[in-house]
Amino acid sequence: MNTTNPTPEWRTWTIAITGMNARPDNPGPGMAVARCLREHPEFRGRLIGLGYDALDAGLYHGEICDAAHLLPYPSTGAAALEERLWEIQQDEPIDVLIPCLDAELTNFQQLLPTLRSWGVRALLPDRQSFAARGKDRLAALCAEAGVATPETRLVTDPHFFADNQENGWPYPLVVKGIFYDAQVVHGEAEARAACQRIARQWGYPVLVQRFIPGHEVNLTAVCDTESTLRGTVMMRKRAVTDKGKAWAGITIVDDELLTMAQTLTRHLGWHGPLEVEALKGEDGKLYLVEINPRFPAWVYLTHGVGRNLPALLLALLAGETPPELPAARPGTLFIRHAQEVIVGLESLAAMLTTGTQKSLAA
Amino acid sequence: MSHSTAPTLPRRMEPNRLRDLAVSPSGFAFDARSGQSFTLNTTGRIALELLQNGASIEEAAGQLAEMCGVATEIALGATEGFVHQLARSLP
Repeated sequence: MNTTNPTPEWRTWTIAITGMNARPDNPGPGMAVARCLREHPEFRGRLIGLGYDALDAGLYHGEICDAAHLLPYPSTGAAALEERLWEIQQDEPIDVLIPCLDAELTNFQQLLPTLRSWGVRALLPDRQSFAARGKDRLAALCAEAGVATPETRLVTDPHFFADNQENGWPYPLVVKGIFYDAQVVHGEAEARAACQRIARQWGYPVLVQRFIPGHEVNLTAVCDTESTLRGTVMMRKRAVTDKGKAWAGITIVDDELLTMAQTLTRHLGWHGPLEVEALKGEDGKLYLVEINPRFPAWVYLTHGVGRNLPALLLALLAGETPPELPAARPGTLFIRHAQEVIVGLESLAAMLTTGTQKSLAA
Repeated sequence: MSHSTAPTLPRRMEPNRLRDLAVSPSGFAFDARSGQSFTLNTTGRIALELLQNGASIEEAAGQLAEMCGVATEIALGATEGFVHQLARSLP
């Protein structure tokens, strides 16, 4: 970052970050975002972890967060979230909010004018852009933007799998939840079980997608208020968890993926962080799989290649001219590992009873 | 082995594309575009470096034949085999 920039205040801001869950098979991005900022050489501000479950590990990680608070589940709506955020704001004024979970974004978008009136900054996509990249509308978006995507059907009844092969949907198929989760299935019994499991957690419709053999490549970046991609970092997954989440990945430079991301973000008029997930098919084509409206859980890799995206986001929110970032060097690997956080009974009790940890000693 | 026409590099293995491959002295090759990596023996590493620098298959085979002290036709067959194997690794 440019040390001579005349508006350095973001370096001392208080940043609230959601997504502090850290289940090894599917971690939220919050801890990685916080870690990027904590390890940025110029950042000296406070980091506040926001979570939805008293067992979210990031809420107790004193080396990463200075304080932590529980929020009401997204399904309780924007009014409950506003009430809780106001309580937190009275306790410790927040300068920037970085939402890191798909399911909560609608509530935060709704509260954006209120948050701004409190002095809280956030860079989020607007509601139309957010909705247009939803999994249920991805095919329409791709058709408009001229981008390839695997053919997808919305399924509201597992009976779809009784005659899908006769109807032109042979196995293997990918069964996906409307917000999260995806499973490759190879037969009727497996497909029905996956459909019912995903529907129980995320509701209907469930998406059924044609399986494209190939490998996944991902891109993350921040879009400024002109929808220009800043600080892109691209990665190929080298190892995945049972849920298909990256366990190891390596930076790449793929011009086709970059062009796809630029096309989509311009078409959507995107603002804020995002992750583009694409599939490089064995047929040589690049298919869009998802657009996630937030930083990915592998965002710490951006710090590793000198393109600290959470810090870039803060600089943009401060109105700074974005600094020149070094080129993302291809061939930089990350390997994730699970780690235990030791929590005293008094800390757990405080979180369960008050939903707050005002000071996390490292 | 005899060739009626000179063997040519597959399109995906033109020198510009091959230069996406970073090769370490130990023979570890990393494709910056696809993220794929593989290891090469010394002969393979030298052959790749020659191709990256714009040598044709025949020119690379000629230089390898000289370096390794084998007949040009043997080196040519081996280089062609190497090129086809490499092409399968480059999307």
